[in-house]
Amino acid sequence: MKNNIIILGGGQAGIYAAREIRQNDTKSNIKILGEENLLPYERPPLSKDFLLDKKKEEDLYFHSSDVLKNENIEFENISINKVDFENKKLFAKNDNVYSYDSLLISTGSENKKLTLDNNLKNDIYYLRNLEEAKKIKEIVSNKNKITIIGGGFIGLEIASSLSQLQKKVIVIEIGNQLMGRIIPKQIADLVQNTHIEYGNEIILNKQIEKITKKNGDYEILLNDNSLIETDFIIAGIGSTPTVKLFENTNLKLDNGIVTNQFCETSIKDVYAAGDVSNFYHPFYERNMRLESYQHAQNHGICAGKNIAGVKTEYTSIPWMWSDQFNLNLQLTGICDEYDEIIERGNDINNGVIYFFLKNNKIRGACGVGIIGKVGRDIRITSKLTEKDTIVDKQILSDQNIKLNKLIQK
Amino acid sequence: MSEENWIEVGSTDSIEEEDLIRFDHQDKTFCVYKLTDGFYATDGICTHEAVHLEDGLVMDDEIECPMHQGIFNIKSGEALSPPACEDLKTYPVKVDNDKIFIKID
Ligand SMILES: Cc1cc2nc3c(=O)[nH]c(=O)nc-3n(C[C@H](O)[C@H](O)[C@H](O)COP(=O)(O)OP(=O)(O)OC[C@H]3O[C@@H](n4cnc5c(N)ncnc54)[C@H](O)[C@@H]3O)c2cc1C
Ligand code: FES
Repeated sequence: MKNNIIILGGGQAGIYAAREIRQNDTKSNIKILGEENLLPYERPPLSKDFLLDKKKEEDLYFHSSDVLKNENIEFENISINKVDFENKKLFAKNDNVYSYDSLLISTGSENKKLTLDNNLKNDIYYLRNLEEAKKIKEIVSNKNKITIIGGGFIGLEIASSLSQLQKKVIVIEIGNQLMGRIIPKQIADLVQNTHIEYGNEIILNKQIEKITKKNGDYEILLNDNSLIETDFIIAGIGSTPTVKLFENTNLKLDNGIVTNQFCETSIKDVYAAGDVSNFYHPFYERNMRLESYQHAQNHGICAGKNIAGVKTEYTSIPWMWSDQFNLNLQLTGICDEYDEIIERGNDINNGVIYFFLKNNKIRGACGVGIIGKVGRDIRITSKLTEKDTIVDKQILSDQNIKLNKLIQK
Repeated sequence: MSEENWIEVGSTDSIEEEDLIRFDHQDKTFCVYKLTDGFYATDGICTHEAVHLEDGLVMDDEIECPMHQGIFNIKSGEALSPPACEDLKTYPVKVDNDKIFIKID
């Protein structure tokens, strides 16, 4: 049967879903509606190699327009501003109407904004898309002292890139450690030390009271009355799922669009995937929302299968990374439900990993090390987690014993 | 095939099964693998970003990059999983008197 399948949101989850649908269904019309006038592209390099000029715009696209053409996947640059789930229609600002039989919502997430005086609205920069990355790159070339508000992954990656561009960088974080509570404090501290070694200033436990513009520069007043002078401000204070469009509909929302393990929402024939979805994870037996590259990819693929009628449960163990200076940090599983923590290694040059166990089984792990040093062990950890293996803690804690032994037949 | 392009890497027992070693020659880096059915060689640097694959995970016929989990088939070099999309170069390998040689062009 020929269906009209619409994918709302032309990002990572959307493109992987589209191609997966095509793999399983050669007949249906597949159309991606995306408000960025760009084919789907990778966001991780925006805060890293794109700012550093090691990657150009053309390196970021997942696929060329030829691939989409060959697979008969249509991409239309349009912003949708109204949804009628009852009549299965989407409405665009320019009065275009799109009818669907199946709909995938993959609208991603958007940056939280600081609540500040209106007259400063255009002075604070945020990073989510290529356009913003280009703007930041252009402006910082003439700036020297840059302040990043928020010590999360994206803020720290920008701090690392700008420091490598010889800028003086200050990071202001409201919490008592970098990267929030999902990262073990010991690992956050190792990353913090690296930033400091490279010359970045890290200010923890401080809140912004006021920002004042002075002759084109800025003065930031903190809650301990200290003043920071800076000539450019970027904020990375977290993000929220892009769901405004659905707020007055009967689509079930709760920290994103609520989906089951098949990417199905509360409305028949409507699916959601990627950053926007708060999905049920059968392994952890709870809902979660993730903002990560691997998740957007795998969740998009899973949604694509289900839309094409190949019923598939989403069981991927979460995984994400962050690259800062010469460090690679990786996180797998979940690190907030445990009754035991095991440490592997204590030297960042060889990699340091914390495993989080519950009932002698690994639930998650977080590691950091010089590039290349933690990836293999974190990957093995994902596999051990997935298999619900009871692990030998001696092997986990002894860096002289390779973890390969735990998974090889 | 001229003989001089075969470069000695080391002895066959220098690699454990389902594992790899890094081998540097002139200014290039290679990975040499021992799989269940023999020895194989590829470029030593991931095609996604400049990361050494020596720290990657070997599983069956695949090498997985330690940085972003890009996966390559060790025998064909084919990039199997994003973010890796460019194939990895592979090299012929031979074993002579318990010594491993790779042919570098
Ligand atoms: C700067 C940055 C660095 C990152 N670094 C890493 C990293 O190192 N490691 C990692 O694991 N993850 C990283 N991520 C996260 C990762 O990129 C995201 O999780 C992933 O892109 C999510 O994919 P998605 O398809 O859900 O959403 P997105 O890729 O955000 O795509 C959503 C798309 O939908 C469009 N859209 C929204 N509303 C509408 C509408 N009404 N009409 C039409 N189109 C609409 C948006 O414009 C956007 O193009 C990073 C993200 C950013 C921003
Ligand atoms: S560097 Fe190998 S996958 Fe990215």
